Amino acid sequence: MLGLCGLSTITPLPLATFAVRPRFVLSSAAVVPEPQADPATLEARLFARYLVGRVPPPDLVERYRDASRTIWGGGAAPAEDALLTFVHRHPWAVGPLDAATSLLRPGGLLRSRILTMAAILEASPAFADDFLPRSVSKGALAWQILASGAAASLQALIGLVLLPLARRARA
Amino acid sequence: MTDVVVVGSGPGGLHAAARLLEAGLRVVLLDFGNRDERYAPLIPRQPFSDLRRSDPAQHRYLLGDHFEGIPFGPVRVGAQLTPPRMHILADAPERQPVDAPDFSASMSLARGGLGAGWSAGVFPFSDDELDGMGFRVADLQPHYDAVAERIGVAGNHDDLERFLPPSPSMMPALELDSNAEVVWQRYQRARATLNARGFFLGQTRLAVCTRSHRGRGPYGYLDLDYWADPDRAVYRPQWTLDELLPAAGFTYLDRRFVRQFTERDGHVLVEAEDAASGAVEQHEARALVLAAGTFATARIVLRSLDRYDTAVPFVCNEYAYVPTLNLGMLGHPARDRRASLAQLTAMVQLEQPRRRVIQAQLFSYRSLLTFKLMKELPLPGRQSLRILRVLMPNFAILGIHHEDRPTPGKACVLRRGRDGAPDRLEITYRPTADEQAVQHADERLLLRFFRSLGCIPLKAIRPGHGSSIHYAGTFPITPHDTPLTCDRDGRLRGTRAVYLADGSVFPWLPPKGLTFNIMANADRVGLQLARALR
Repeated sequence: MLGLCGLSTITPLPLATFAVRPRFVLSSAAVVPEPQADPATLEARLFARYLVGRVPPPDLVERYRDASRTIWGGGAAPAEDALLTFVHRHPWAVGPLDAATSLLRPGGLLRSRILTMAAILEASPAFADDFLPRSVSKGALAWQILASGAAASLQALIGLVLLPLARRARA
Repeated sequence: MTDVVVVGSGPGGLHAAARLLEAGLRVVLLDFGNRDERYAPLIPRQPFSDLRRSDPAQHRYLLGDHFEGIPFGPVRVGAQLTPPRMHILADAPERQPVDAPDFSASMSLARGGLGAGWSAGVFPFSDDELDGMGFRVADLQPHYDAVAERIGVAGNHDDLERFLPPSPSMMPALELDSNAEVVWQRYQRARATLNARGFFLGQTRLAVCTRSHRGRGPYGYLDLDYWADPDRAVYRPQWTLDELLPAAGFTYLDRRFVRQFTERDGHVLVEAEDAASGAVEQHEARALVLAAGTFATARIVLRSLDRYDTAVPFVCNEYAYVPTLNLGMLGHPARDRRASLAQLTAMVQLEQPRRRVIQAQLFSYRSLLTFKLMKELPLPGRQSLRILRVLMPNFAILGIHHEDRPTPGKACVLRRGRDGAPDRLEITYRPTADEQAVQHADERLLLRFFRSLGCIPLKAIRPGHGSSIHYAGTFPITPHDTPLTCDRDGRLRGTRAVYLADGSVFPWLPPKGLTFNIMANADRVGLQLARALR
């Protein structure tokens, strides 16, 4: 009954795919703050770079701006705003702060906004392959989990130290 | 005046109407009839992965024009409803307000009712499970068969047949996906041992056309089942409505919101609001079939009989999802050709302290999108994404339904609306500690069996009371002549010609999907009523 037709093969991924890239432990260091960009535009670029390592095209940035207006039009609590302001000023901190809030405030604003950008990226053909499931060998799977787990732990440690400071950041 | 007014185009209403029309009676079907006209036309008929890589408009139906497809917070009831399916619940909270602090009541004013989002599992009840209704499987079997022919059912002759009798019109089962195939192969190797311990596994019987049937199908394995209805292969009640529309004697009136009925001079008068104009209409018939959905029917009945502030019982299967890591899939490729529907059904037969079954269904996860899982992991987004991409092909998700029986903590009461406000239905759902202990024990037992099949449970997710969206038991069929119950034919006691044909009449819920049973019982009620009216 079940033929081989339609089987997707296990693609050996380049080793670099699984490497823990130090610059992404303190992620998005490559994103330079852009004071001239509005906060939503800055966030869209920052979160996309953080999630998939690429800058989104203008239509996805506009979609993120639209989502921000639609979902959070009413503003946020001061502590949540402060966290975002901190991330705008210090893009390298997005990974550690995301890691810390994933443990302490999984429903918080920073994480919700990152999730929204993830949704927007996932629902676009240019980034679909960054989100579609991928079958890999057992070794690659183990390495991916170990590497990502180690990176997440390191980020969480930095983020837990950083979080109280970031929450007090002034607009 | 018509012969019968039917209220609601869900699984109950349409199958009762079909029987009445077959008998040559005139039927008026009153329905609110919401439809998705925004997203359905946008979704191309393409495999999910192709569509994702090519369709520039996908964000509209995947996320919604108002981003309503991006969920925040913990997993909630109806989390699997995607933007193209959200019309199913539209308008109901405003028109049918509910006070239910510890229960999520999903009600529908859609064409097809809650059945428009049915997961298509077909689980006919056994004699044990019809206990208390005054009839047996032999009485219901012709109606199971008639409905199976009408809707198209695909399944296998496998170990589930000891729980689910075969249907003469059953089509070949869907192809298993890679995940399920691995579990199935492991089951085959350990079958004798597992069967001896009461565990049985088979392919989920589904209301899906795997070959062309009544202008529908065959199923195309596009993995779009959460988003669209390609080729109308998966059954929705509105397909039956489409078949009935040209029938002589059938009148379909949509944008109607039914408020109440009265009986006068041997006739039933049904009061409905025309939602377009706000005008109130009266529809006169020899009999009324109420199939508006358990809670909507309760509202209409209690208001019509002026039984405000009277508690009626109700039941609802408790539901839990358990994502498991399918060890057998590690390192194996996953086929792209697949369905999002349930793949396998497990049944465990228990004899002590009483004879009953517990049940789980196995799904794979892909087409509900990765970002929705990212928020469930206590990891930063980037790492969540990387891990989930490689783990997802190995996830086998178990959906576990628990049986539910009426207890004093489960009731609904209609409260009169003040100053022109709509009446409010108060719903209380407090299962006993004993019930919850049994449910947790059942889950542990099922998970032990699945562990032996290589599926390692990761986390039990309980979206909360009401999450199965199987509601029943408000006006149960019972041989005892007591108020606010139904007789064997589905006639509401205290009325002359008001019949109930939705979940309301089932006194308790076995741990199985209810929808197919609602259809079969509605078919039975329609036939009995047709005989009475002719």
